[in-house]
Amino acid sequence: MASIARSSLLRQLASARPTLQTGLVANAARAAAFHTTARKNLLAPLPQTIQGTVNDAAPVPETSPSHGSYHWTFDRLVAASLIPLTVAPFAAGSLNPAMDAILCATILIHSHTGFQNIIVDYIPQKRLPGVRKLFIWGLNAATAVVGLALYEFETTDVGITETIKRVWAA
Amino acid sequence: MAALRSSASRLLGAAASRPALRAAVAPAAAVRGMAQVADAASGDANLKTFQIYRWNPDTPSEKPRMQSYTLDLNKTGPMVLDALIRIKNELDPTVTFRRSCREGICGSCAMNINGTNTLACLCRIPTEDKAELKIYPLPHTFVVKDLVPDLTQFYKQYKSIKPYLQRDTPAPDGKEYRQSKADRKKLDGLYECILCACCSTSCPSYWWNSEEYLGPAILLQSYRWLVDSRDEKTAQRKDALNNSMSLYRCHTILNCTRTCPKGLNPGLAIAQIKKSMAF
Amino acid sequence: MIAQRAGTTALRRVAATPNAFFAANTAARLGLAHTQTRPVATQKLTPADGAALLAKQRLARPVSPHLEIYDKQQTWFGGSAWQRITGSAFSGGLYVFATAYLAAPVLGWHLESASLAAAFGALPFAVKGAVKFLAAWPFVFHAINGVRHLTFDMAIGFHRQSIIKTGWYLWGASIVGGLYLAFLA
Repeated sequence: MASIARSSLLRQLASARPTLQTGLVANAARAAAFHTTARKNLLAPLPQTIQGTVNDAAPVPETSPSHGSYHWTFDRLVAASLIPLTVAPFAAGSLNPAMDAILCATILIHSHTGFQNIIVDYIPQKRLPGVRKLFIWGLNAATAVVGLALYEFETTDVGITETIKRVWAA
Repeated sequence: MAALRSSASRLLGAAASRPALRAAVAPAAAVRGMAQVADAASGDANLKTFQIYRWNPDTPSEKPRMQSYTLDLNKTGPMVLDALIRIKNELDPTVTFRRSCREGICGSCAMNINGTNTLACLCRIPTEDKAELKIYPLPHTFVVKDLVPDLTQFYKQYKSIKPYLQRDTPAPDGKEYRQSKADRKKLDGLYECILCACCSTSCPSYWWNSEEYLGPAILLQSYRWLVDSRDEKTAQRKDALNNSMSLYRCHTILNCTRTCPKGLNPGLAIAQIKKSMAF
Repeated sequence: MIAQRAGTTALRRVAATPNAFFAANTAARLGLAHTQTRPVATQKLTPADGAALLAKQRLARPVSPHLEIYDKQQTWFGGSAWQRITGSAFSGGLYVFATAYLAAPVLGWHLESASLAAAFGALPFAVKGAVKFLAAWPFVFHAINGVRHLTFDMAIGFHRQSIIKTGWYLWGASIVGGLYLAFLA
């Protein structure tokens, strides 16, 4: 009760002398223009929509180990096998044609799954199903072409490690 | 308090323009801080400017902006939440943020402070320099108002992992499900998670794919039930994660581990899930 | 209590002033009126209406800033992001070279190892070194960070401090390794 009376009294006092800026807090309430990059974003998020109510669980996708755990494990095995294959030419000076071909194939698979991951990350299936399909098949085609080209290169030329070695030494 | 409330009600009458606001709030400060005014006059005020992200749903066409507030740290508590509460009480009652426990157990005040996600109540105001402190809502979330993000999708995802004990066999003694000390120890570092969403909203993978990727917080919770020796649905839980999106959008960026305000390790938990599902 | 009673007349006089909250509160406290006036109006909504309103509000919500405000050290110098960038650069280069090699006979280009080595050998030393470094640095980075990520996948090395430390070592080691391969190997 008392506090209400007191504050209203003081408020009248303050409105009579608006210069009673306390100094307790220097309120520099200046508003700076803020730029969201939403418009600059390549694939800006769509306006928010929520399926169902807050109390419904998010849908659980189909189990698919070939896109999940098998895929992941295969990726790691390929990546791990690249370690000895990459160290070998440094250690031995060069690789025999068979090892060179294995290195080529492993790099190709590693590149392919790497690009696949990028497509899955940045091209959402739900929002751009057509574009996703286009990129996945485009990648498959590109990998096939590159596979053929590497086969050509390996069989008619000196092999990838030897080429890099010669260019490096040139 | 009454003084503040009355000035707030007066605010509603006025058009809430900035000068009117300051006129309404200043006397309230004068009432409480007579001694403090003298204090500030002596010239040892330790001023710090806070830049706060503002967006008002009542004027949705206005772009989000940053607004600056300057406080004297000598009269403010040590934590960022203290500063926010003081700004709301004394400078601008329209600043909106969530808070509850002020001791890092409820997870309400999760926000992005100076570039990293943390709980405002556990984050000290840096005093070593005079640089402005920037406060944003959790990154790449839909903003309800100012520092309040919408976490509906986050909670729906939490619900989707069935975060409760699932078993069919009754307890052998008919009373409780017993667990060895070693098995109980596996839950340490997992059960402490308060679901503040700091880690999930620090994860670029979650930024781009929050529709389908579960994100670090939910996966840590998932692992908490996967390693629980009393739970009998481990296989089903793993099957639910075994697809290209739910779990495997994690690329070990590890922003989650670096940001967790509770010192937990969501990155490690996800790695353990992947490892246990690999072979 | 007595003091409050004594002030009643004074307060009633103040209540006549145009201050909605003050007047309502005083009146209520003194039992002068049984209704309380609120400055905010509310209205009843059905759950369906409420959900529709919420859905409409959601459409207007902005997305909070992310890449541009998050700690630059983590977003711009993160090992994981650069693993992807260096890998894409290499694989992209491989794909472009291989496709060009396949098309070379048709287009009349010479991309055999001998002509490549000859063309590269004709470049000035500084350019050769720069090109070699630009190829060697991403290679070393991707190799070292690849091993780092494989250890992460075995659930090793997740202490917060070691994540930060190895993140910086990675940059130092890859630059040193790149320079070594470019100029000494």
